Amino acid sequence: MPTHIQPTVLLLLLSSVALIGLPHAWTIAPSVFGFFYALLIWRVVGIWKKNWLPNKAILFLLTCAGIALLYQQHLGVFGRNAGTSIFITALGLKLLEIKTTRDVYFIVFLSFIVAATLFLYQQSMGMALYIIAVCVSLLATLVVINMRTSDAKKAIKTALIIILQALPLGITFFILFPRLEAPHWTFLQDKSQIKSGLSETLEPGAISDLALSDELVFRVKFDGAIPPQPQRYWRGPVFSLTDGKKWLPLLKRDTQRNQDTLSFSGSPYQYTLLLEPQDKNWVFALDMPDKLAPPLKINTYYQVTTDANPSIRAEYTLQSYSDYNTGNIGNSERQENLQLPPVISPEITALVSQLHGFDASPSRFIQEVMNHFRTQQFYYSLTPPLMEENPIDTFLFKTHTGFCSHYATAFVYLMRIAHIPARVVSGYQGGELNKQGNFLEIKQADAHAWTEVWLENKGWTRIDPTTAIAPERVEQGVNIDKQINSGSVNFDLGQRGSTAANIAKQFRQAWQNADYSWQRWVINYNNTNQAHFLSRFGLNNSQRMLTWLFAILSGLTLGLFWWLTRQPQKQQDHASRLYQQFTHKLAKLQLQKLPGETASAFAIRIIQQHPDLTLPINTITELYLKIRYNKDSDADDLKKLTQAIRALKINHLRRH
Amino acid sequence: MHIALDALLASANTIILGKQHQIKLAVCCLLARGHLLIEDIPGVGKTTLAHTLATLLGLQYQRIQFTSDILPADIIGASVFDVDKHQFTFHPGPLFNQMVLADEINRSTPKAQSALLEAMEERQVTVEGKTYPLPQPFFVIATQNPSHQLGTFPLPESQLDRFLMRLELGYPDKAAERELLTGQSRHHLISQLSVQLSPEKLPAMQDAIAKVHTSPALLDYLQAIISFTRHSTEYSCGLSPRAGLALMTAAKAWAFMHKRDSVLPDDIQAVLAAVAGHRLRAANTDSNAVVAPIIQHVAIP
Repeated sequence: MPTHIQPTVLLLLLSSVALIGLPHAWTIAPSVFGFFYALLIWRVVGIWKKNWLPNKAILFLLTCAGIALLYQQHLGVFGRNAGTSIFITALGLKLLEIKTTRDVYFIVFLSFIVAATLFLYQQSMGMALYIIAVCVSLLATLVVINMRTSDAKKAIKTALIIILQALPLGITFFILFPRLEAPHWTFLQDKSQIKSGLSETLEPGAISDLALSDELVFRVKFDGAIPPQPQRYWRGPVFSLTDGKKWLPLLKRDTQRNQDTLSFSGSPYQYTLLLEPQDKNWVFALDMPDKLAPPLKINTYYQVTTDANPSIRAEYTLQSYSDYNTGNIGNSERQENLQLPPVISPEITALVSQLHGFDASPSRFIQEVMNHFRTQQFYYSLTPPLMEENPIDTFLFKTHTGFCSHYATAFVYLMRIAHIPARVVSGYQGGELNKQGNFLEIKQADAHAWTEVWLENKGWTRIDPTTAIAPERVEQGVNIDKQINSGSVNFDLGQRGSTAANIAKQFRQAWQNADYSWQRWVINYNNTNQAHFLSRFGLNNSQRMLTWLFAILSGLTLGLFWWLTRQPQKQQDHASRLYQQFTHKLAKLQLQKLPGETASAFAIRIIQQHPDLTLPINTITELYLKIRYNKDSDADDLKKLTQAIRALKINHLRRH
Repeated sequence: MHIALDALLASANTIILGKQHQIKLAVCCLLARGHLLIEDIPGVGKTTLAHTLATLLGLQYQRIQFTSDILPADIIGASVFDVDKHQFTFHPGPLFNQMVLADEINRSTPKAQSALLEAMEERQVTVEGKTYPLPQPFFVIATQNPSHQLGTFPLPESQLDRFLMRLELGYPDKAAERELLTGQSRHHLISQLSVQLSPEKLPAMQDAIAKVHTSPALLDYLQAIISFTRHSTEYSCGLSPRAGLALMTAAKAWAFMHKRDSVLPDDIQAVLAAVAGHRLRAANTDSNAVVAPIIQHVAIP
């Protein structure tokens, strides 16, 4: 078994391999992961108990088991997960087969591939740092093998230096090399990996536990002023159709119809959206967007969508106004937004008339409804009771408990009974401001539903019924703090944060800021961004880009070459320069002087192979040694050496 | 001078067969006024070599067999009360000889070892406040069994540094072995040897060695070697300045023995293993393997 591979090498190698596999705990099947670590532990034990390592027969059986496991998990070799699992299993099996240094090299290179697969799942900065750290330890393994040292600290230092030396070259390539757009990459991505955001239907009565996740949906960077919290409504799908329980968007959402032109007033907000990968082509623009450039489109419900692949992280520049007027609506649109289920309970009709729905102006009625929510015992909860039958009635008259969707749907329902066109809008509200990076982060927890009511002379007007609930009536539920922080539920709880919490928050924001820059400048550095970035330096086409790339690379190489060749020459005197000419001449005979070979030893070697050169070689060597090492050499000797070397004729044909 | 030297080497080669290079190194070590450590398994001729050299150089010779119970007084001598004179008189120990063979030095306790090694360094002995100079010239040839043998106290690095060279003799080759088996007893042959180089001639030789020229180019090479041992990952501990001096002195003696008045890189390479092998802390115990990376990697400027 491995006799000449030092335990230090094995330990370094195995610990790097263990580290490289670790993040895959979240990505590959637990059985494959377990199989890999079982093999790894077996190999670690094998450092001390050599007899316990498997022989060829057992290794063969293990390989069969690995193949069976892979087949059972993935039924093939295609796709990202299957490919990753294959590499991991192969790496694990190879570990049990370390016999020569070559095997160690093989494992190190395989580990580099496994390290690269991690990027298929996670492109965060933390992951990049982690992978670099593991690469340092892998490189250190190679250093230990090649330097024949057992000092791991020194090896890690050398590996770090190597990586730092490679960094400028890597950065140059990253910035200047044409980015390859890979539209088919998405086929590598398994469907389950795409985050599901807002739903395409709305059925608040069927949800009894709304878990709000901390997952990032998008980030917004404003050019200039940031809109105040109550105006940050990020528009998503609009729901108009209902059967009393379920709410659906209108089917013909993209058809063009006669629509009044949007008019804006005030100054616009300019901003850049950085959307995380998602499964729908929705772009959450701030109410109300204007001037969209392809691939963005806006439908008749003012929802922005994109023609680009949404499963790739994307960046869009937009402009929105907070003061807008949508103008008049046509008859068909009015009918669509007055649609109600055929049967309406008398209690609701009674409530509407009690709130002056039939005998007062729409704005008065809206005020009355909001007051009703505020003054009656309505509660906000993320864990409301199930309302399967007549959810609106149940909510309004029985449970009085719900989250934003309950309030929005009930509100729209009441409006429509009073013959006011109304609809539910879903999207996100608020967003946390990152003070260091001055951008907003919108998470899944910021998901929200509000309403729009059509009013004469005002057009579609945003009303958020959830804001009507009194703060003391909020029931603590899942992530309610999140909701409060994000502003979906607006009330002031006073000063809550301690100093420690503030510091923690600042740290978190600093990290998120760094992450934003990472996503913005590294991960999202695609063709468009590259062209945009490089055009600032006048590099506006790929030909110039490549020219610069090669210019920088050849500059670096030539500089290094010059520096390396220049270095030893400084100390050389005239005689050694002459002697160098002599060795260059002999290089034609395939004779190379080794660095530690003395002139006399070299002379003996030459004469052994070319006895006919005995005389000139001896003369040259003697003269050279005399000049270099004797006390009493003079200029005459140097002249003689010059002549002797000049006289030395190497016949090319004599070459072996 | 060189005629006597050549005759000395030739005579020594008739006693120790097939070890020309080691004998040359041993003579080189003595010419450079250094002490010699011979490390090898028992029975390869360590003692014979020491005895031969002492005879050929015409030096007073004494062998001290080191054992685990030997005391410093057994080596350097002791003061004994003289009843007639009513005073203590110093009785010099076996160390008071021009050539001392310290046989199997690593069998003794560190206390006895350090008594010898101190005398080697100072070339004098201090007993009860009185200092007694050792005879001139003074050489110690110590032999040592490989330390992995049982019942040994290996010399620490700091004391190994006191020896200019460490040699390994190794087994004789086939022809030499045959000659040894068929020839006369070595003991008998040694008794027939005559002095080839009288002690009076030694100082003149040593003066000549001191005058051997070392050019700047050579010193560059020497320094490159020293710096390599200090910075390379091959060794945990590089060559000390004393080791650098030792290397230069030995190379000078080697150049002198080859009838040259200046040192060449070849001289340094020839003595490198013997001089540096025991001073570099390396996993390998074979001196040639220890210094191989130096010869391979350090370019001759």
